[in-house]
Amino acid sequence: MNTENTAPAAPLEEPAAPRRTRFEEFWRLLRKNSLALAGLVVFGLFLATAVAGVFLTSGSKPVLDPSVVRLQEKLRPPLSRSDAASLKPDEIPAMGVYLFGTDDLGRDVFARMLQGAWVSLTVGFVAVGISVAIGIFMGAIAGYYGQQYVRLEQVMLAAWLLGGAALLAAGVRTLGAVVLVAGHAWLFFSISPWGVSRRKSPPPWMRIFLKGTIRVDTIIMRFVDIMLCFPSFFLILTVVALLPASIYTIMIVIGLTSWEGTARFVRAEFLSLREQDFVAAARALGVGNFRIIFRHMTPNAIAPVLVSATIGIASAILTEAGLSFLGFGVPPPHATWGNILSDGKRFIFDAPWLTFIPGAAILLVVLAFNLFGEGLRDILNPKLRQRN
Amino acid sequence: MRKGVFLSTRRFLILVPLVLSLLLLQSYFWVPTYDEQARGNPGRLEEYINASIGDASILNPILSADSASSEIESQVFDGLIDRDENLHFRGRVAQSWEVTEEAFFFVNDAARVPGALGSEPESVLRHLEQKRNDPAALSAPVQKSLQNIRALTLLPPRNYTVTRPRPGSDAKAAAEIRLEVAAPARIKLVLREVDQDLFTHLAEILGADYFTTFQAARHITAAPAVSETDLAALTEALLPAIEQNPVIEFRLRPGVRFHDGRAVGAADVRFTYEAIMDPRNLSPRVADYEPVKEIHILDPLTLRIVYKRLYSPAIGTWAMGILPRHLLNAEALKQEAVRSGKDPAAFSMRQSAFNRAPVGCGPFVFKEWKSDQAIFLDRFEDYWEGPVNYKTYAYRIIPDLLTQEMEFYAGTIDSYGVQPYQVERLAGDPRFQSFSGTSYSYAYIGYNLRRKPFDDPRVRRALAMAIDVNKIIRFVLYNQGERTTGPFLRQTDFYNDAVAPVPFDPQGALRLLAEAGWQPDAEGRLAKNGQRLQFTLISNSGNDIRKSILAITQDAWKQIGIDVRTDLLEWSVFIQERVNKLDFDALVLGWSMGIDPDLYQIWHSSQTGPHQLNFGGYRNPEADDLIIKIRQEYNHDRLVDYCHQLHALIARDQPYTFLYVPKWTAVLDKRIVIRDADAEGRSRYRRITPTKTGNHMFYFNQWIKLAEMPQFSN
Amino acid sequence: MIAFIGRSIVQKIITLFFVSIVSFAIIHLAPGEPSQVDPLNPKFTPEMVERFRTAFHLDQPLYVQYAYFYRDLFRGSTVSWKDNQPVLKKIWERFLNSLPLFIVGTLITWTISFPVGIRSAIFRGGIYDRSATFISYVLISIPGFFFAYILIILVVTQLEVPVIGMQTFGIGDTAWPFRIMDRLWHMLLPSILGATGGIAVLSRYVRSQMLEVEGQDYVRTARAKGLPWEMVHYKHALRNALLPFVTMFGLILPGLIGGSVIIESIFSWPGMGRMAYEAILSRDYPLILTINFIAAVLVLIGTFVSDVLYVLVDPRIRL
Repeated sequence: MNTENTAPAAPLEEPAAPRRTRFEEFWRLLRKNSLALAGLVVFGLFLATAVAGVFLTSGSKPVLDPSVVRLQEKLRPPLSRSDAASLKPDEIPAMGVYLFGTDDLGRDVFARMLQGAWVSLTVGFVAVGISVAIGIFMGAIAGYYGQQYVRLEQVMLAAWLLGGAALLAAGVRTLGAVVLVAGHAWLFFSISPWGVSRRKSPPPWMRIFLKGTIRVDTIIMRFVDIMLCFPSFFLILTVVALLPASIYTIMIVIGLTSWEGTARFVRAEFLSLREQDFVAAARALGVGNFRIIFRHMTPNAIAPVLVSATIGIASAILTEAGLSFLGFGVPPPHATWGNILSDGKRFIFDAPWLTFIPGAAILLVVLAFNLFGEGLRDILNPKLRQRN
Repeated sequence: MRKGVFLSTRRFLILVPLVLSLLLLQSYFWVPTYDEQARGNPGRLEEYINASIGDASILNPILSADSASSEIESQVFDGLIDRDENLHFRGRVAQSWEVTEEAFFFVNDAARVPGALGSEPESVLRHLEQKRNDPAALSAPVQKSLQNIRALTLLPPRNYTVTRPRPGSDAKAAAEIRLEVAAPARIKLVLREVDQDLFTHLAEILGADYFTTFQAARHITAAPAVSETDLAALTEALLPAIEQNPVIEFRLRPGVRFHDGRAVGAADVRFTYEAIMDPRNLSPRVADYEPVKEIHILDPLTLRIVYKRLYSPAIGTWAMGILPRHLLNAEALKQEAVRSGKDPAAFSMRQSAFNRAPVGCGPFVFKEWKSDQAIFLDRFEDYWEGPVNYKTYAYRIIPDLLTQEMEFYAGTIDSYGVQPYQVERLAGDPRFQSFSGTSYSYAYIGYNLRRKPFDDPRVRRALAMAIDVNKIIRFVLYNQGERTTGPFLRQTDFYNDAVAPVPFDPQGALRLLAEAGWQPDAEGRLAKNGQRLQFTLISNSGNDIRKSILAITQDAWKQIGIDVRTDLLEWSVFIQERVNKLDFDALVLGWSMGIDPDLYQIWHSSQTGPHQLNFGGYRNPEADDLIIKIRQEYNHDRLVDYCHQLHALIARDQPYTFLYVPKWTAVLDKRIVIRDADAEGRSRYRRITPTKTGNHMFYFNQWIKLAEMPQFSN
Repeated sequence: MIAFIGRSIVQKIITLFFVSIVSFAIIHLAPGEPSQVDPLNPKFTPEMVERFRTAFHLDQPLYVQYAYFYRDLFRGSTVSWKDNQPVLKKIWERFLNSLPLFIVGTLITWTISFPVGIRSAIFRGGIYDRSATFISYVLISIPGFFFAYILIILVVTQLEVPVIGMQTFGIGDTAWPFRIMDRLWHMLLPSILGATGGIAVLSRYVRSQMLEVEGQDYVRTARAKGLPWEMVHYKHALRNALLPFVTMFGLILPGLIGGSVIIESIFSWPGMGRMAYEAILSRDYPLILTINFIAAVLVLIGTFVSDVLYVLVDPRIRL
């Protein structure tokens, strides 16, 4: 029963081991985690497919044209040969075979899947890219500047500008514009050498404006709290349903609604990193704040971000599929695996391949991302590393 | 000992999910399968379960505007009339009705009547009487118009004072003007049936300009004085030279009762009308009833509806369900508001609980509404036509098409809207009977005629010729559609079968485009003066068939060298940002229509503004004239004639590419049959057969489900 | 402690205020208008559309609409634009429908995740652990509606019993055990589908918590002492690994109003998610905003409860 006691003894670590680079170490650990490795392999294949898809399905005379409608060839099962007699020469699919069959308009499912791979991949990567960028930025600011206070003067300025924007939005054009212009004028004035905050000894009545009100960290983390108050799928659905459908809306919306987690743990990492010696050293050398944040600290906080980004791509692909099911996915002419699947579900009895091929493909790719992410987490988190 | 405790922690952790799963899984053995449902519960046979994608919104016939609500309302409420198998009107709550006309004109003492003794009222009247008795010298249509007159009477002059808001001012009481009206004598004609040409024909007797030269302004003095144009507008409303008032007199069926036992009377009908016109109710049907001038109750079962002007769709509007006055009048609403603690002043019929628990006089009594789940109705035992066969009617809401089909297989719904691609599979199943018919709608590609190149009818025709509609019908609709060539319903007489569909002919299309100046360039793309032929075709998202049409037409037009982009927009964005603002090139859309052939809102040139329904911008004076004539014609044969002309005209102009009329298919268990009683009161069964217009639900009140599939002798 | 609670409540209320502004802005700044003023209905005249707009205050500036809406909400007199029903009553009805699904789903999730997660932690790296990992990732990787369709088709074609809706329609007045079991059966598939993601995530979480604890010195000591392995794992380790889960009870609270749109649409379950979805489609602003507001309140209460619980159970945190 006690398997862990009888587990084979680990090979003795050689003293020279630490000389391995980080990448070698990573690779060594990854190879031991066969699920994660499989995930990586599938991930690689998917990438290759997507890139190949772009080349094979775009351009003016693509090898595999996903948009050719051949109504008389509709709902052909996979591997069936096309009927050359009824088609025009440029309608015949490559090699005369429908590898994955055809859909309800007689379009080649294989070509559509290839094209969809790239679009799905883009949706996943761009959405996650947006979310990671915002997350790192917010988390870094909160972690690094967290303990500083925002001055009353700044709060008032922000309120003033917001008020101006609100007036504009509410339709009071002139007043709003005046308020905004005045706000910006004050902003430039205060940054300038004559600004209040730059003076060596401001008069006492002015000091009240320089008083700290609220911590930067508090603002950002409360903002994260506000975002977390929205049920995320519901929020995405609301925005996607209300805005005109486009692939960009979907990517941006998914990205804008999923950065909170990243922000939280980047902040946590930063809180511990900023106390470390290398940061103090950089500061002592007079390195600028932003350089410290992005050049010195961020690379050290990137590990958990990578894990969540990998899993984030998986969930972005699933979210897109879910939106497609409800009719709010990426609109045509872009094919995504999500909308191929949800278009195909109507024909689940007549043409099961239209459901099962994209369904299985999504499952496989999402699974690969998840497993790879999980493996990454194990590898990057020394605490969870198996002690043999 | 302690070891045992922790052993049991582990067991507990494993046991709990096991017990839970077993409990859940065993529930399977309690659920009836398809066959067991009727065997275990004979009541299932007397229950009709219908499935729908969407829930009803408001169960009040004067307030609802969605199809789910109106389906329930048609079971709970009865109107005065409906349509029979041949789409002719048939009495329901009304037993009989008569359409007549009252027409008036002011005696024009300035005009000289040829052949009459003078221009004073008596001589004009006598002149008309004389012509009526001796019409030989007149043309046949005029003779007919005169024979149609039942009585001629003279109404004496009348003096009265009215106040009207000052034209052009929107302040309330501040600017009013007093008008002293000295109305001249008027002649009233009572007609046997409505005659839209009456006054054109009378003009042949009284002089061509008898009606046009009537100086109404002379008979009115305004205080304070207003400008001449304003006065003209006021007098136009007060003293119109001619007036034609169609009159419908309904005689209600005695003994019709609401579900709560109160008798249905003429007062309820008038109340329904008043409720529609009450601005606080925001009824979407105001436009239908706006032409009503007044409703008189002659006796508790007779009412007389007078219209302001000729408006032939008027009769059809009385299919509207009759509301019970005693439950919804001002007094009842006030009491309800007080009971529910709301402000009685702000409480309107829209807020009433009636809308979720309606009471009507239809074949089914409302029982329960579980939002987004089901609506249950029970049969009305005192229904005037005798109780229906089914005991209950359930309207289930199943938003997913595939699971609707699954529920049909599992036997927990009796009918659902079968999708075109499911038809073949289901129609061949020996367990089911299937019905099919054309629906009251059509699909089209509409062009924005304000924009180039769509202002050229040759281009529109060429675009239509490039599309193989038969192919769309065959492959996208699985043959569940029929071609249509014009704006009328295929199953009505109004549809002109002589109009041939635009042929599929890409070469011909190219020739037509070349005539219009569009020549293919080196790459085969069409261009004119260096300008490529390109535009965007849009439609709304969420409709798979439209999506396919979009893809197919894009492809078809690409074949002849037209560069078409396509775009799918969410419905409300599509409507509000593009259609309403007239910001589109071409769009794929459908119209669903009533049986009535009134095309005013969709095709008349006065309806081309933003937010109006003629968004394509079709203008043709000839068509306008026909549309108005159709609106005013009460005679069926003439109506059909006008409609055929209009159909041919629109088909010639091709403002739309008319695509197809979708067919619906209904699949039912074969055990559902019609049961009616023979002379001795024994039950006789017959197979459900559709009517000539394809409506299989026509005899729904006699339907019943049997335990075994019946054998029919015939 | 009191100060902590007080401060945290004030914070949550401020957050809620901002949430209300943001959600209001998102919905009202989007293009399109409520479908009740659907202008493509031939029976609608522009004047009527205008009247609707006035009745719904749509012609007022945004901040006035905001004030109207939240005034009505706190008075409890908000009505849906779609059918004039009081919004709170509608939500309550749907909540009662979603509740059983939520309860069964949560029960399945929590009862299955623990034994699975613990066992895979104990036998880390073994066949069991690997297959559990693999299966749980398959479960969260499969598109929900795809999985649902496969299950439904299997059940209906193979077992010939209905699975859609909250109960079998037309079973009439059969005996009560049948009706209860029938309801249970209809709950089975949707709650399993709703639970799959939860099981996968939670069992992974249990596993990693257990691993973290198992690596601690006191567990090693207990093992070294020669205690029976069950006692080591199920007493020493499990108890401490459970700690963070106490706080998760607070976090399942928002799930009460969640409800999956997709699962509910497929199973035509008249729950919260579907109502919210249909409200979005018909742009029934009062309903969308109210649901959003309640969801935000629940999230905030949830985090509040979990914060307090954490303070209560973890002796390391002192205020």
